[in-house]
Amino acid sequence: MSAVNGHAASKQAASASRRARKTPAARQAPVLDVAIIGAGFSGLGTAIRLREQGISDIAILERGDDVGGTWRDNTYPGAACDIPSNLYSFSFAQNPNWSRGYSGSAEILDYIHHLVDRFELRALMRFRHTVTGMTFDEARGVWTIRVAGKKNVHARCVVSAQGPLANPALPNIPGIDTFGGKTIHSARWEHSYDFAGKRVAVIGTGASAIQIVPALAERVDFLKVFQRTPAWILPRPGYAAPDWNKTLFEKLPASQTAFRNALFYAHEAMATGVIWNTPVTRLLEGVAKAFLRHQVPDAWVRRQLTPQYRIGCKRLLVSNDYYPALMRDNVKLYTWPIDKICEKGIRSVEGIEHQVDCIVFATGFAVSKAAAPFPITGVDGRRLDDEWSRGAMAYKSVNVAGYPNLFMALGPNSGPGHNSALSYMEPQIDYIVQGIQTILEYDLRALDVREDAQAKHNAQLQKRLAKTNWNSGCASWYLTEDGFNATMYPGFATQYKKQMARFVNEDYRAIRYEPEFHERWMRND
Amino acid sequence: MDIDLEKMLAKVKASQWALADIDWDAPGAELITDEQWPKLKAFMSDLMWIEHVGARGFAAMARKAEDPMLKEMYTYFHAEEQRHANAEMALMRRWGMLEEDEIPLPNINLRLVIDWLDTQSDRMPLEVLGSVIPMLEVALDGALCTFLLEQVDDPVCHDAFKRINDDESRHLGVGFHVLEMQGHGKAYRLGLNFMGTVLNPRLIVGIATYLPLLSRMRDNVAAMGLPEEKLYKAMNKYERIGGRTADGRRNPWFQLISRHGRLVADRGNKLYHVPVDAMVKLTDYYPRALLRPVPTWVKELTYKTAA
Ligand SMILES: Cc1cc2nc3c(=O)[nH]c(=O)nc-3n(C[C@H](O)[C@H](O)[C@H](O)COP(=O)(O)OP(=O)(O)OC[C@H]3O[C@@H](n4cnc5c(N)ncnc54)[C@H](O)[C@@H]3O)c2cc1C
Ligand SMILES: [Fe+2]
Ligand SMILES: [Fe+2]
Repeated sequence: MSAVNGHAASKQAASASRRARKTPAARQAPVLDVAIIGAGFSGLGTAIRLREQGISDIAILERGDDVGGTWRDNTYPGAACDIPSNLYSFSFAQNPNWSRGYSGSAEILDYIHHLVDRFELRALMRFRHTVTGMTFDEARGVWTIRVAGKKNVHARCVVSAQGPLANPALPNIPGIDTFGGKTIHSARWEHSYDFAGKRVAVIGTGASAIQIVPALAERVDFLKVFQRTPAWILPRPGYAAPDWNKTLFEKLPASQTAFRNALFYAHEAMATGVIWNTPVTRLLEGVAKAFLRHQVPDAWVRRQLTPQYRIGCKRLLVSNDYYPALMRDNVKLYTWPIDKICEKGIRSVEGIEHQVDCIVFATGFAVSKAAAPFPITGVDGRRLDDEWSRGAMAYKSVNVAGYPNLFMALGPNSGPGHNSALSYMEPQIDYIVQGIQTILEYDLRALDVREDAQAKHNAQLQKRLAKTNWNSGCASWYLTEDGFNATMYPGFATQYKKQMARFVNEDYRAIRYEPEFHERWMRND
Repeated sequence: MDIDLEKMLAKVKASQWALADIDWDAPGAELITDEQWPKLKAFMSDLMWIEHVGARGFAAMARKAEDPMLKEMYTYFHAEEQRHANAEMALMRRWGMLEEDEIPLPNINLRLVIDWLDTQSDRMPLEVLGSVIPMLEVALDGALCTFLLEQVDDPVCHDAFKRINDDESRHLGVGFHVLEMQGHGKAYRLGLNFMGTVLNPRLIVGIATYLPLLSRMRDNVAAMGLPEEKLYKAMNKYERIGGRTADGRRNPWFQLISRHGRLVADRGNKLYHVPVDAMVKLTDYYPRALLRPVPTWVKELTYKTAA
């Protein structure tokens, strides 16, 4: 970006030309400075930080009719975070009032609503705006965002914060449409359905299922849990926050920050066993096995629940009440493969039809590891779907070469296996804000990461990923079908933060508006 | 028997059936004669237990297989053997051989094998079970089931066993494929590994439970009128198919088991039969107090089509 850095008087000129461009734009479609797609933690957090830097011409396009993302959608019984709330919240907006160590989804959603009020984000919201695709106009330096059933939205910069886990996935089981009873996906819970006295099957035993099963077991007549692959489960130190604690945090915010830091480093320490294969890995496996032995007396059920892959290869879970729930008289674990779903229930390969009133799919999300979330067309008509067909790749998980002025939150290889997603999201947001500031301040038509910088970044990334537990041979949603890891960051959150701290100008190409074009554009032809 | 595991797995998945596909109340149960009934009851109960024991064997193999495709295949076979046991219980139930939730009692040799499988099978290398199971399956498939269908006219029984036998043919296909795969490599390395395992006391206990079981089964089916030669002919299939390729023949486990098969068939060999028959008798006196409680995987058996 050396071409840009030399322009001393650029800042003033830039804002003047920006104002000028907006006047004729009123006759055309208006062009926003920033469009943010998605109103979850990422989208809202980005809006807050942008406004703090004086960037306020923002709209947040959200397909739902409320904010909250994950926590608006995941309201199943037992839904809660599995990272302590003090860590699973923004550092710039800490909440002294968390009622417990790991808050339930309603409390997290309340916190998000509170963010919206405190930072006055309501005015930016455009609900019921489902983005269906977007195209970059190189000549104008403007993204055209297509919205289902609505007019296109134009913006100079786009932040795509549509969530890594926002689209519920159903399993590929034959006959799923032939079931005559009720079906519910964990991320689209129907609170009006009365579970009392019902026979219910839960398909899946991942992060959502281990929260649903204990809660549902209390309500239903009988619960059948269908497992394909068991997860490693560690005990979790859950606690209700005492009042003196809340008062302390309120009166002395530094004490909360200190606590937050302690939690952060405690989780960072887990990385040494979760991400890489070390003696700590064995230790964690030992703890998990002892925990299992303690909670499940029957040897055969224990065998069914013991994972055959290395701890950390798939998402590591924490729960104190999942195993005990499986031991209840009205709950039974099945590990037979499912053959199909039929009118009355589930037929598994041992030849028995498991008849139920309701099937709960705790089967997770469609994660776009090898496709764009929606069609995205960059410079020269290149399509992100094509480029990502063998696995998503980006520069520092935020930018993709050939798609200028587009920033992604929780993009490729930004996922933690051991720490709060927000510990990764916050540095991303701050990085995105730096990028957008650069575009607006220098009045750039395009700020595009260089192909070679991206390639170098990914070569290093994949080399490091090859040594992690995720790539140690189990199939998981972290990997594409070919085993390419497009989701996880192979390192500590601290490392990630460090890599995101500085916006490296040299890794980008910056293109300014040529004066000729600018005049043409002003004449509106 | 070189098969494409991917295609085979797809075929397995496409060939599923459930107990509910069979009308267990259809006419034909009356075709069982009074004379047949008690012997058939004993025979079916043994058969059902062998299926169930085979199921547990596949569960252990699913653990041990490294190839994810084979792993999944064995996971299916585990469940399919359970289905066979369930279906055979449904037949017994249809023929009035089981009360309410009764599960047929396993004989003492089966109990010992169940005990061994429960505690040791997950520690055995894949080769051991991978080589024994095809032997049990040829015997089951070629002799026991064929014989049963010759004796019993009930069309529902024929319907059920047509499905069971279709499954078995796939088990055998994969079984012999793996047998050959495991014979691949340098003979001395195979031999060394073999020696290492065969001297393992856990396995020796396993063999000590397996030998009398086999002889007891032979006696039981003979009591039902199955000519012994038919059993031996079926067992011979193991040697024929398993020994077709050099790889198969090089597998020391194949050698051990097929030779043992010959011993079993050679009634004149007193050196083998006298002690083993004695073991069968002895096990009758095996103190029941030494048996561990029946593992809970046994309690998964059911004759009910829906649960
Ligand atoms: C059940 C569950 C529990 C979790 N627990 C934890 C935890 O304990 N700790 C942790 O660190 N992480 C957890 N996560 C991960 C969680 O996804 C992230 O922590 C975080 O909430 C992601 O925020 P986001 O804003 O990026 O995405 P989201 O919260 O998913 O928000 C994305 C928003 O974009 C909208 N959207 C999507 N597509 C479009 C479109 N085409 N057009 C317009 N709008 C669109 C969605 O409606 C949604 O509102 C959990 C996830 C789930 C599902
Ligand atoms: Fe069978
Ligand atoms: Fe079989």
